[in-house]
Amino acid sequence: MKKYKKDRYISGVITAIFAAAVILPVLTLFVWSFTQRWAWPYIIPGNFSLNAVIDVFEKLKKPGGILISGVVLSLITALLSVIIALMSAKALLFYNFPGRNALLFGSILPFIVPASVFSMGVQLLFINLGLNNTLHGVMIAHLIYSLPYALRLIMDAMSAIGEKYEEQARVLGACGIRAFVDITVPMLLPVSLTAFCMAYIISFSQYFLTLLIGGGRVITFTIIMVPYLTSGNRNFASAYSLVFLGISVIIFMLSKKAAAISNRQLKTQLY
Amino acid sequence: MKNKIIPYLLLIPQFILSGLFIAGLINAIMISLGIMPSLGLNKLTFDYYIKAFLRKDLFDSLTFSFYTALVSALISTVLGVFICYFMINTKRGISWIVELPIITPHVVTALFIISIFSQNGFIARLLFMFNLIKDQQEFPVIVYNSGGIGIILGYIWKEVPFVIYFTASIMSNINEKLGDAAANLGAGAGRIFFEITLPLCKNTIISAFLIIFVFSLGAYELPFLLGATKPKALPVQAYEQYLHPDLRNRPYAMALNGIIIAAAMLSAVFYYFVLKSDIDKKLKNKNLNTCII
Amino acid sequence: MFKKRFFGIFAAAILALSLASCSSTNTNQVSGSGSDTVQDKAQASSGTETGMDTKKDDEALSNKGADSDKDDLKGKNFDEIIKLAKGSKVTFYGWGGDEKLNNWLDKEYIPLMKEKYDIEVVRVPMDIEQILTQLSGELQTGTDGSIDMIWINGENFQSARSNDMLYGPFSDMLPNFKQYIDADSDDIKYDFGYPVEGYEAPYGKAQVVFIADSAKTAQLPKNANELFEFAKENKGKITYPALPDFTGSVFVRSIIYEKCGYEQFQDMKPDKEKVKEAIEPALKYLRDIKPYLWNEGKTYPESSSTLENMFEDGEVLLNVTYGAYSTSVNIEKGKYPNTAVSFQFDKGTIGNTNFLAIAKNSPNKAGAMVAINEMISPEVQAMRFKELRTLPVIDYSKLDKQQKAAFDSVDIGKGNIPQDELLSKRLPEMPAELVPVIEEIWKEEVLNKD
Repeated sequence: MKKYKKDRYISGVITAIFAAAVILPVLTLFVWSFTQRWAWPYIIPGNFSLNAVIDVFEKLKKPGGILISGVVLSLITALLSVIIALMSAKALLFYNFPGRNALLFGSILPFIVPASVFSMGVQLLFINLGLNNTLHGVMIAHLIYSLPYALRLIMDAMSAIGEKYEEQARVLGACGIRAFVDITVPMLLPVSLTAFCMAYIISFSQYFLTLLIGGGRVITFTIIMVPYLTSGNRNFASAYSLVFLGISVIIFMLSKKAAAISNRQLKTQLY
Repeated sequence: MKNKIIPYLLLIPQFILSGLFIAGLINAIMISLGIMPSLGLNKLTFDYYIKAFLRKDLFDSLTFSFYTALVSALISTVLGVFICYFMINTKRGISWIVELPIITPHVVTALFIISIFSQNGFIARLLFMFNLIKDQQEFPVIVYNSGGIGIILGYIWKEVPFVIYFTASIMSNINEKLGDAAANLGAGAGRIFFEITLPLCKNTIISAFLIIFVFSLGAYELPFLLGATKPKALPVQAYEQYLHPDLRNRPYAMALNGIIIAAAMLSAVFYYFVLKSDIDKKLKNKNLNTCII
Repeated sequence: MFKKRFFGIFAAAILALSLASCSSTNTNQVSGSGSDTVQDKAQASSGTETGMDTKKDDEALSNKGADSDKDDLKGKNFDEIIKLAKGSKVTFYGWGGDEKLNNWLDKEYIPLMKEKYDIEVVRVPMDIEQILTQLSGELQTGTDGSIDMIWINGENFQSARSNDMLYGPFSDMLPNFKQYIDADSDDIKYDFGYPVEGYEAPYGKAQVVFIADSAKTAQLPKNANELFEFAKENKGKITYPALPDFTGSVFVRSIIYEKCGYEQFQDMKPDKEKVKEAIEPALKYLRDIKPYLWNEGKTYPESSSTLENMFEDGEVLLNVTYGAYSTSVNIEKGKYPNTAVSFQFDKGTIGNTNFLAIAKNSPNKAGAMVAINEMISPEVQAMRFKELRTLPVIDYSKLDKQQKAAFDSVDIGKGNIPQDELLSKRLPEMPAELVPVIEEIWKEEVLNKD
């Protein structure tokens, strides 16, 4: 028992160090958001200003603004990613069929090809298909890049859970798809939410793809933010980044809440 | 008979997306082979690849990219798995702290690294305040270091949490099911980790490693913002060629990208075999789909 | 066996898909008007002939001028064009990293266009290489264009022109261009030595200045040699952005002008060996100064924005910029200390003009022309001068009293060089095609040599 306590103590320390290493850099964003100039050798910046923060809020205030449309776009993309990943994972894991290997390989390819390269190649195709400059075109392009992450996560979890429960359900008379929807999907809910978040962030941070497929007509938050980041405008870059991080943290939290709730429900169902 | 169709039905969306992706990829490769009808380039040629291979700095760039990607992916994976294990032990689950770096764009990560580790950064200022250095120049060049330390630091900050995030759910699953049982039987934390958790998470860990390795091999942001002027990572070279105002230079940029993709592809083939062997093993132990709708 | 067959089908499907994308491109091109196809073919053949060579093809260019005649805006007077543009939407594509400019466009220019002409201008922040990528894709497939107005200059303009991606000539159709702009001045006629020929209208002027903090630097270097001495005295406190950054590139060109004069480059062909020979004194200078640079010239800041940040932080003593009047703007923002001053070399510094162009496939050329015409009106140019400190492109001598007063009343702010002095020491850019050649030589002869 004593040993167990010691383990937890060590775990606490390591987690704390890790947390500090993550949070301290992010704090500089807060400082820079309000700072115009932070000259050597001062530890605390000299010129404070609200310019950047005011500008960000003005941009966000606009009705039907970039914030909403960009977030909604990514949320839908993430949802579709999870659904498609569930379907694909089911097929790839539990069926042996010709062409499986090719698809398996095809599904991991987007990890390998940087989105900037892909967007240049696919641009003409999208123009030809009439998908450029449209929301659904951008969504499809994002899906291509977010799906592999969702698929990897869900496939790992699904193979861990296995078909055991599903088989039991079948023995009890449920048919394949019902068993899948009623049993496997709820069991996979936690990992599905992880996959959802991952897919969301992949979509939300896409710059090149959104720009080239959206043709500048589909304006997301990232499209507005990145020029400030690359132009070295540190206070504006920081203020925009903070909002970017803020939105994403909220979405991650909400989905975790959802996971917790559904977990509780699942447990009551099973027992 | 019907169940032969089921997997294909389930895979329709995947099939469409993979098809689109591969069509895009083929187009990109065609550009690198000199096919760009919009600019009147219609002749298939390997000239751009030849030009790329004749570059004196190609080899340096390629090794540099491999080196930074490999080192950062290795360190990130080891640290990530290690921290993940301890984090699960605290029984608080994975907190939002892990998510923060994952959602942070690479460009912002570069801003962090510069404002902390550069000769003008926070650490240098602290040292100056305590009179440990007298001038900015005395602070070691960490960020724009020709050994890529800045780049590696940036990737570690981004990717350690990614590894944690990627492996956490499966690891906590295993820990809950088997770890507690083993602990009750008297196994120490170290033994549980090395003999139970690690082998069972092996594939997920390798997945995570390969994803971040391949990603950092191909991404240009961090090497561009945190790297030295020479050696330059290959994606940065490709990016510079892409920025070249003459559009007829695009095939050359794409050829450089083609080399990166080929390098990554080799890694992916390896990845693919890992994945496949894993699934095959599982399939062997199962009676395949006997249920009828 | 079954597996193999399916893989075959899979591969075939993909091939078909990608082929479809290629072939539909072709049909689109063919289905265009007759003259267009001929044009494309002419361009295609010239393209394959030159291959990877970046040489411009003058014959092809003169060819291309002809096909815009068919456009129905030609011959219309400007009132008709304004009427045509009423209630329409104009997309304005350009770099979006300057928050001050973005705000001015969003809060002043766009409302003005709405109020005055009932035109909705949509600002699209995009880097020029992406804009040209998108435009070339649209032109290839022959689909409806999405880009109307483009902020462009220099090598990008040359590239867009030599690939026939722009609409024109249009600038001589704009009343404000005819009335207020000196169409014969080199600043307007040439863009990095490349003839404008009415395919773009001026937007603003830029000129290189150096910036230092007068509180730290008493004696400002007046030429390249003094800069060298300055670097020696302040070891590690000076640097310039790594080429091909555009500011780093113009810094190197400035040194070349100092060491080798500027005249000989105005009609030099982009022959690498020849250029190398001509700029050797400058290369030697750049090699010799390396030990005194930041980090001993082993590494350079990757972009001008990084150099600017380093100057703000006090990590280096000098900044170089194309934004001739950015010093006062940055002092007012609080980024630079009050004591920051800009200065030039005695022999002068390089200046250029940035322009507005119209995409060849723009769906709203009339609207774009009205928008550009408004941009070069004396009122808007004075507003830009006052609020953004952008050097105006209009000819002061062509203004009436009231208009002159609007410019005269502008306080250029702290740390800037008066306009007449600045412009009197303005040197022309090199021909655009020399720029990438010099960038390549710099890499080989300066960066990679110790």
